[in-house]
Amino acid sequence: MIQKKICLLGASSVGKTSLVKQFVEGIFNEKYLTTIGVKIDKKMVSVENKQVQLMIWDIEGNDRYNAFQERYLRGAAGYIIVVDQTRVSSLSEGLDIHTLARQVTHCPAILAINKNDLAETWRLDDNENIDYQNLFDLHFTTSAKTGEHVDEMFLAMAKLLLRSEHNDLTT
Amino acid sequence: MHKNTSTDDVESDSQLEQVRTLILGEKNQRVTASIKKEARSLVADVFTEALHDRQKNDGSVNKVLQPLIEDSVQHSVTHNSERLVGSLYPLVGSLVRKSVSAFLTDFMEKTNQLLENSLTIKGLKWRIKARQAGVSFAQYAASQIFIYRVEHVFLIHRETGLLLNSVNFGEHGYNDADLISSMLTAINDFVGDSFLANEDGLKEQLQSVSTDNFNLIIKAGPSALVVAAVIGQPPQKVNDQLQQTLENIHSLYIDELNNFNGDNLLFENSKSLLSDCLLSEQKAVKSKNKTPWLAWFLLLLTIVFSGYHVFLWFQNSQLATKVMQLDLQPGIVINQLDVIDNNHIKLDILRDPDAVKVTDWLEDNKLTITQLNITERNYYSLDPELLNIRAQKVLSRYPSISSTWQNHLLTLSGSLALIQTEQLLKALSMSGFIAGKNLSTEQLQLASPSSLANSTEVKQQLFDDLIGRISAIQLDFTIASEQITPNMQITLQRLFLQVQQLSQLAKDLDISFGLLIIGTSDSSGNKTINNQLSMNRAKNTADTLQAMGLNKDKMYVTGLGEIEITDISNTSRKVMFNVLFVDKAISAAKKQILKRI
Repeated sequence: MIQKKICLLGASSVGKTSLVKQFVEGIFNEKYLTTIGVKIDKKMVSVENKQVQLMIWDIEGNDRYNAFQERYLRGAAGYIIVVDQTRVSSLSEGLDIHTLARQVTHCPAILAINKNDLAETWRLDDNENIDYQNLFDLHFTTSAKTGEHVDEMFLAMAKLLLRSEHNDLTT
Repeated sequence: MHKNTSTDDVESDSQLEQVRTLILGEKNQRVTASIKKEARSLVADVFTEALHDRQKNDGSVNKVLQPLIEDSVQHSVTHNSERLVGSLYPLVGSLVRKSVSAFLTDFMEKTNQLLENSLTIKGLKWRIKARQAGVSFAQYAASQIFIYRVEHVFLIHRETGLLLNSVNFGEHGYNDADLISSMLTAINDFVGDSFLANEDGLKEQLQSVSTDNFNLIIKAGPSALVVAAVIGQPPQKVNDQLQQTLENIHSLYIDELNNFNGDNLLFENSKSLLSDCLLSEQKAVKSKNKTPWLAWFLLLLTIVFSGYHVFLWFQNSQLATKVMQLDLQPGIVINQLDVIDNNHIKLDILRDPDAVKVTDWLEDNKLTITQLNITERNYYSLDPELLNIRAQKVLSRYPSISSTWQNHLLTLSGSLALIQTEQLLKALSMSGFIAGKNLSTEQLQLASPSSLANSTEVKQQLFDDLIGRISAIQLDFTIASEQITPNMQITLQRLFLQVQQLSQLAKDLDISFGLLIIGTSDSSGNKTINNQLSMNRAKNTADTLQAMGLNKDKMYVTGLGEIEITDISNTSRKVMFNVLFVDKAISAAKKQILKRI
């Protein structure tokens, strides 16, 4: 069995835990509970006829009181930076985290623009944001509430991980 | 000076190096090349000893060989099973015997243990306590029986926190072993980052975690962690074993650990190493009574119980055999017999009213049965004994008649008036006696008529009655036959008796009579022959009667030939009888009148 550790990072209350809950259990809860430390879940996915068990580390959100620490990122095969499309500040916080993460790892990274079901206040293809597009391997617009693009995003991550492993072997 | 010396040293070193290179070649090439040539024989010389020594030192040879042997055995089983079967065949018989006996012993032990754990006060106490503590009974029992027991051992990749392998004491593993290992790594990372580094600059390590039921012992190496979940208080021995295992795993799997890409199949063979850590120690049990007395008691109980049932069954079948003797009694047929127990039987029988009573028979045979359910239906038995009893009952009303019962034939003798004779014969025939079959009346004589029978009217009635009976007699012949068969003989015997009675009555009533014997034939065949045939039939009948003692003058014989009545012409092969009679007084009067004329 192949197992992969992936981490969810981002500012607090952008919906990291909700994304994991939607992906693993298929449910959404309006109630907000802040994650302390880390919460780990697992889910088996099938990619190109291969079974991959994703160990998903849902890491506590970072804000000015709780700076990003790379300790839980250790050994991760990939990570997802989650931002909130109703709060443009979450994008800059996410980019800060991404920068810090890049100092310790060069594994595949995905940008998830969450809360797709609510009215957006910023777009990635706005002029001021357009440069950030290339910082990530992939980006998804997701909704943990409706489940839109959630499974696709995690499957895409699993594919990325298998492909990067393949590249490692060939190079 | 000093400087010179050092320069000299450097020079001599480089010279020495040059000489070494000349002799040994670049990177000792010449030496390794010459050793390589002989490598095979060199290694072959010490191979076994080397294996032996290494195994003795740290036991690592076994651990390397074990997965290899397992693989090759598996390969043999899949691809070359015939050969394996051939070599194992002689062993299998004794293996099976041994394992069966081991199983039985183990089963006894386990049953006893189970009974002890479930039925004893101690077992119940444990159950209650386990419920109070919110753990399973098995877990609680283990904590009571063992000083400590290693329940699970996890091998965890240090960098990613992914589970590489795990072993369990029982058969059931943890489904969430992978989550536990990730979480442990997370906690370990947290501890390492949150506390100040120690004097050596190394990060703090989580050594153990305690919960209500488990002690988690964590041994961290540079690339992997070995974690043991232990019930009870683990001794130092467990720590040592874990450390040893961790070191072994690092030395054997160092490449796999460093290049780990998430595929834990590479660590499949580490199971045997991890299994070494599944240690346990049982509490010293007061083993005063090692014999599984509860199991023995149950066995004894079973034997007594089944023995008792066999005894009951034997007793019942004995009783059934005795009661079945009743069936041999004349006039009793047993339809069904159920022996419920020694004192309770159900009996369904057919019984002749004259047969012995069931209760009497049981008493006679000294069988005392308090609950006796009898379903009895009556029937008339033709058993000879009962026929006799019935005949004696009938005959008791006729003191002048004596009888003998021999060879199933009741012979009556004595004399009796005509009407009484008729009544007697009627009563006997109702009791199952048929004249000529099991009844002989030849020695029975008609007594002088009694006063009642003297009355002319009664005699006339009897006379008419007899005529009617004689007219009802017919003899049936087979096709083209004129023979008098034995059956016909019996009928004719009866006829003869009736004619005798008739002549007695005729005499009293002053009536003359004659017997008309009429033969007929069917319509098949020649008419003339048929006429003759019918005549012969009548004649043969008359001859038989004559032989019995009937006067020829009293008979008139005629043959009617074919009877042309559509419905009967095919089958009318008969001899019929009729009685012609005239009142003598009337005929005498007529004669006188004629004379006068």
